[in-house]
Amino acid sequence: MRRTVVNRVLLGVAGAVLLGAGVLVLAGGLDLYRRLGVDPPRWWPLTSPDQPVVSERSRVRWVASSWWWPTVIGGLSVLVAGTAWWLVAQLRRTGLSSIAVPTPGVGGLRLRVSARALEEALERGTEVLPEVDRAVVRLVRAPGHPRLRGAVRLTPGGDPAALVEHFEDGPRGDALHSLGLAELPAELRVRVLQEAPAERRHVWPRRRRRGRSRVE
Amino acid sequence: MVSGEPQEASAERPEKARRLRASRAGAAALVSTAVLVGAGALLYDVIAVRAGQPARRWRAQIADELATRHLDDLGVLVGAGVAALLGGWLLWLAVAPGLRRWLVLRPYGGTSAAVDRAGIGHLLADRAAGLTGIDHLRIRVGRRRVRVTVSGPADPASVQRQLREELARVGVARPLRLDVRTVAGPTGGEAEG
Repeated sequence: MRRTVVNRVLLGVAGAVLLGAGVLVLAGGLDLYRRLGVDPPRWWPLTSPDQPVVSERSRVRWVASSWWWPTVIGGLSVLVAGTAWWLVAQLRRTGLSSIAVPTPGVGGLRLRVSARALEEALERGTEVLPEVDRAVVRLVRAPGHPRLRGAVRLTPGGDPAALVEHFEDGPRGDALHSLGLAELPAELRVRVLQEAPAERRHVWPRRRRRGRSRVE
Repeated sequence: MVSGEPQEASAERPEKARRLRASRAGAAALVSTAVLVGAGALLYDVIAVRAGQPARRWRAQIADELATRHLDDLGVLVGAGVAALLGGWLLWLAVAPGLRRWLVLRPYGGTSAAVDRAGIGHLLADRAAGLTGIDHLRIRVGRRRVRVTVSGPADPASVQRQLREELARVGVARPLRLDVRTVAGPTGGEAEG
C-alpha cells in the first residue's frame, strides 16, 4: 500500500514536470501568448518563438558563482540516490520467507513459521472448499503486518460471496487460530470458469482462454 | 483474542470496500530507470569536467542544440508535444485507480475479495444457458452496469429476474445495474463487441 502511494506521488511529480515543460515550450513556440492576447509577466520564460530553448547566456548565468557547482553536483547526487532507491523498491520481492509467531508465556523463545508451509496449508484448505477449482495463496510484505494474497478460480456457477465466507471461516480462521496471530488480513482475486457451451449459442465478445477471458 | 477479531474487523470494514488501486510498479520502474540513467550520466560528466577533463561530446552537443534551435523549430515543437503527452499520461497513471478488470466484493471479516468482470459474465451466461427460448445472448459486463442483449421467444421479464438473482448472488460491493434488451432477430447477437 505504501509503495502504491509513493509510486503514484512520484509518477505524478514526473508527469507534472514533463507536462509543464512541454506546454511551456509549445506555448512559446506556437506564439500562443501573442495570439491569445495574454501578457505574461516579465520573468516568464520562453515567450517568443525566436528565442533558443536554453540560450548560452542562461546556461552559464550562475557558473561564476561559488555556490553553482556544489549545488548542481549535490542536487544531481540526491536525484541519483533517490531514483536508485525508488527503482530498488520496485524490484524488491513482495513475498516473505517466514512469519513471526507469538509465543505468549514462553520467555526467550522466538518462533518463525516458514511462509511456504503456511501458504501450502492455506492452498490445500482453500482447494477443498466447495466450487474451488484452483487456489494460489502467497504471504506478502505489507506495512505493519504481513498479508495474504490469494488467487482463486471457481468452477462454473461458483459463488464468489460464499467463497469469501468459507475462506474466512475455514482456512484463514484456522491459520489465525493455530498460529495465534491477532491479524492476518487477506485479499482474494476470484475468477469464475464458464461451462463449455453445449451448442454454439453464446456469441462472446473477445473470447480468449477459458477462465481468462476479459469482457470489454 | 481470535474470536473477538472478526466482529471488530467487520465493524470497521464497510468503508474499506473501496476500489482496488494498482501499485504502478512497472511505470515507476521505467521512469526511475530513465531518470537514474540521465541524472547519473550528467553527474558523472559534471564531476569529470570539474576534475579537469573535457566535457563529453554528447553533453556539448545537447547544450549546443538547445542554444541554437529556436522555439519554433519543428524538432523542438515535436519534442515538446511528446513531453507534454508523456507527462499527461504519467499524471493519468498517478491519478487513475487502474485494475479496471476487478470488481470489489463485500468484505467479510478480515478477507477482502475482488471478482473478475469476465467471471461475472460467465456466471450470467451459465445461468442464461439453463433458460429456454434464448436464441442469442450477448453479455457485456462493465464496471457499473451489465448489458445483456437477448433474442428469441423467451420472456424478457423472467430472463431479467433470473439474471438479477444471479448478479445479486455475486455480492459485488457496489451493485451493478442490469439492463436486459431484447432484439427481434438474431442480428443483435451477431455484432462483435
